[in-house]
Amino acid sequence: MIGLVDGNNFFVSCERVFNRRLVGRPVAVLSNNDGCCVSRSNEFKALGIPMGTPYFQLKDREASGELSFCSSNYELYGDMSRRIISILREEAVDVEQYSIDEAFIYPPTTAAADYTAYGRRLRAKILRWVGIPCGVGFAPTKTLAKLANHIAKKRPDGVFLMPDDPTEILASLPTNEVWGVGRRLPVKLRAERIITAQQLRDAPDDTIRAVGGVTLLRTAMELRGIPCCDEKDYDATPDTVSCSRSFGTPATTFAAIEESIASFAAQAATKLRRHGLLAAGCNIYAQVFAAGGGGDFVDRTVVFPVPTDATNEMLRAFRPEIPALFTPGLRYRKTGVIFFGLEKPGSPQQLDLFTPDSHSPFPVPRSSSPLYKAVDALNARYGKGKVFSAAEGIGPRPWQMKRAKLSKRPTTRWDELLTVR
Amino acid sequence: MNAKAKVSGSVVAGFPSPAEQYLEPPLDLNELLVKRPAATYFVRVQGDSMVGAGISDGDLLVVDRSLRPADGDVIIASVDGDFTVKTYHRDKDGIRLEPANQAYPIIRLRAGQELDYFGKVTACIHRFVGKR
Repeated sequence: MIGLVDGNNFFVSCERVFNRRLVGRPVAVLSNNDGCCVSRSNEFKALGIPMGTPYFQLKDREASGELSFCSSNYELYGDMSRRIISILREEAVDVEQYSIDEAFIYPPTTAAADYTAYGRRLRAKILRWVGIPCGVGFAPTKTLAKLANHIAKKRPDGVFLMPDDPTEILASLPTNEVWGVGRRLPVKLRAERIITAQQLRDAPDDTIRAVGGVTLLRTAMELRGIPCCDEKDYDATPDTVSCSRSFGTPATTFAAIEESIASFAAQAATKLRRHGLLAAGCNIYAQVFAAGGGGDFVDRTVVFPVPTDATNEMLRAFRPEIPALFTPGLRYRKTGVIFFGLEKPGSPQQLDLFTPDSHSPFPVPRSSSPLYKAVDALNARYGKGKVFSAAEGIGPRPWQMKRAKLSKRPTTRWDELLTVR
Repeated sequence: MNAKAKVSGSVVAGFPSPAEQYLEPPLDLNELLVKRPAATYFVRVQGDSMVGAGISDGDLLVVDRSLRPADGDVIIASVDGDFTVKTYHRDKDGIRLEPANQAYPIIRLRAGQELDYFGKVTACIHRFVGKR
């Protein structure tokens, strides 16, 4: 049996734990740069305002006091997610975190007698310890557990166990509600007269394979109750680590391009070091601003002399390429850095005979230098960006994310604790 | 260059340290004050409403959300949207939140009004040096 636990309206729920004035009100959390609604409270959904609605269209209704908004407080959401996962690890045999607010769990054998009761207990514990309401769905496969979770969220107790024969339930769900089917496949499936999840489950393998290949066949198998989802698919080493962001207002200077890229590289490199990974190289890019969206991308790929996680070595390698991204007179929407060729230190690699350090008799792959261990420790302790490379610039940082409605970070910053009177 | 050798427990050559088998990890305040990290939150006191209970302005409170409130516990709750630290009392007249300072009023919950409980205060950290 597999369970899927996921936080209801997760970002909004996190905000409500520390701001009780938001309880019972229509609230939405906004995307990066306060762009659009990415998490909505039930009261907000009830007003019929869809996910992804741009914030500027709703400003009037905020001013009138009807709606409330928060900027994305990732520091807070990340910590609350960590707390939930640690509770799940205590209560389940194994936990696979799928996203910031979702995790698959493998219940202990003692839960088998009554999965619903186990789910309720789990839900109550998370609600009390962390303050986040969750939906809990159980089924024999992940794809079915996802569906069970959707149903669970609509129930007052928040828990649902998929019945042994889910035919009736599957017959009531269109294929696009099935995990992994996406938006385009339902159109193709319709041509084969496959409209419901039940029809997908019962269709001949050949038909399924012809429409969506092995991936869709796997989904169908999962609907039949046969686990086919590779367990550690998304737990594995990430293929790439990246950092990018849109400028609050379009950038027009070379300094803005150069400093933003250096800053994103530093952030992504911190991520690399946290995963214990080295990058073989990186892709740096800038997107030209075009009214109404779109805009050309310019990019350069840089391969590092030796795979590394040291920010200064990366900067040295890609800085000469930055001028190629910039054309004076153009306005830029966005810049970013993507690291690729990620590996753990000590994995086999070829050393460049001419890299400055390769005169060492022992070809040791670069791993976190003491310098960056210290930098990461200082930034973890005193706040992100306290210690940084001069290349990131020391002036104002217009590329930094706009979070005008950012709440406090009461679980990760000593100077932003909740105050009580 | 980091020329320092790493020291580990299993040294083959030389004299073993006589203290080695007695080595223990150093005392850790987290171990003492935070029993359940997933349910523990820190909050800052503002004002002197609980000064009689040894809780002063600027103190840091350790709060455990996993513990249910019992009569006489110091708790954190939200009243009309604001968080407050008070002593929790429950009897036949209902729930009341008492300050430990005569200058502040007792908060009584109206009949049917539910307590918006945040957590139980398990420790108070009062610093004499390096406040805030």
